[in-house]
Amino acid sequence: MIHQYKLGGWPIVVDTCSGSVHVVDDIAYEIIAQYESKSRDEIIADMLLRFGRRPGVTRADILECYCQVTELKDAGRLFAPDTFEPLAGELKKRSAGIVKALCLHVAHTCNLNCAYCFASQGKYHGDRALMPYEVGRQALDFLIAHSGERRNLEVDFFGGEPLMNFDVVKHLVAYARSVEKRHGKNFRFTLTTNGVLIDDDVIEFANRECSNVVLSLDGRKEVHDRFRVDFAGNGSWEKVVPKFQRLVQARGGKNYYMRGTFTHHNPDFLKDIKAMLDLGFNELSMEPVVCAPDDENALTEEDLPIVLDQYEKLAELMQNRRKEGKPFTFYHYMLDLAGGPCIYKRISGCGSGTEYMAVTPWGDLYPCHQFVGEEKFRLGNVWDGVTNAAVQEEFAACNVYARPECRDCWAKMYCSGGCAANAYHATGSVRGVYQYGCELFRKRMECAIMLEASRLLDDE
Amino acid sequence: MKHIKTLTNRTLCESAQKGGCGECQTSCQSACKTSCGIANQQCENKAQKESK
Repeated sequence: MIHQYKLGGWPIVVDTCSGSVHVVDDIAYEIIAQYESKSRDEIIADMLLRFGRRPGVTRADILECYCQVTELKDAGRLFAPDTFEPLAGELKKRSAGIVKALCLHVAHTCNLNCAYCFASQGKYHGDRALMPYEVGRQALDFLIAHSGERRNLEVDFFGGEPLMNFDVVKHLVAYARSVEKRHGKNFRFTLTTNGVLIDDDVIEFANRECSNVVLSLDGRKEVHDRFRVDFAGNGSWEKVVPKFQRLVQARGGKNYYMRGTFTHHNPDFLKDIKAMLDLGFNELSMEPVVCAPDDENALTEEDLPIVLDQYEKLAELMQNRRKEGKPFTFYHYMLDLAGGPCIYKRISGCGSGTEYMAVTPWGDLYPCHQFVGEEKFRLGNVWDGVTNAAVQEEFAACNVYARPECRDCWAKMYCSGGCAANAYHATGSVRGVYQYGCELFRKRMECAIMLEASRLLDDE
Repeated sequence: MKHIKTLTNRTLCESAQKGGCGECQTSCQSACKTSCGIANQQCENKAQKESK
């Protein structure tokens, strides 16, 4: 399976099953398009009609190009077959019982009252609570005990608003640091925050202990303050922006992401990206809102072409800024064409419910933060471990071959089957597919590949 | 090649040889949380990197 497209002036061919990316000229682009359906002589004749009048284009030239396509096919880099299905369960089987990442919900409460919050304003449809230190410590012990030979263990402090339980966060990190060497582990901590409680203590802690911080900012003031309000209904932009700026500066402008959410009210999210750039932030991430499809904030079919166009314009902006010597990062456009994840990772899905779980303040385990509060998805707890084997098996079975819709998708080896939570909210099953999300993902991949191609070839 | 520039090195098939260590970062564990793919993750396997 291949995917051909032209973007930003670059004709690109992606070979799905080899992971190969080729930048081609017009002749190669057309030859590849016809290669599997026409004979060599038919193709050459057609190319002569199309390009024969161009200076320097001869029959020999076209034949040479055709042979290059054949060479790539023979080398397994074009039209490569999908032979990986037998490996699909392999990584998860090898990793059965292995946990390497936890999302600690240290607070099921929040100091903001954002209407669009997927977690019902931090409470996850349940009681307000802060995670006691003892529960968090047990979670870390559970992680260490079940991590097998994995050295790098990831712990994300999440919520609600985790800084409402900052003392416990600090205490847990200190505990982890006190035991990691003994167990041959390396903890990587991430903190996600709405910024309201950032102070010098938080900044110092984050710089010392967190490999990354995720800072919730939606972009323009009027966009951010539409949803991200306190309990009196006041917007939080004026309060959190200076705090974010201080924290980012103290981190040397690295190892953070501004994390924005866009909704039906701002499908023109590029304006929000630009607003964040104007504030001096260069490490950016922007996510579509998570809500029921009939929610008033949900992106609609009418929004789709606007959003797709925004992704392309964002890629254009990134190219221009790079050439001006003012580059910035957009999370979903990061791509390593020299390697990236191996085939095992590519086909095995996001890891939710198996190697990655969320922990509630009461110590309950869920497949990820998106499923917390949905009782039927509860996996167990940090004392007894995973006791709901049926649900874990359901998540273990999520891989790129588990969904018929993925079979013919060119982006499957970049996506790995998509988000189980999105699938569940859209279709009622984790094995379903959130088609709208697929459209966005494919556009983002086209842009990411084009940007990386442009960077590599412009540098040459 | 004159008409085609290949930007990638090892193929996914080749990555199976030393792959599957499981050390790469969990894709959700960062800024995205719902739009994740695994495309933007980095390989943490030194042996894998050296085989490029």
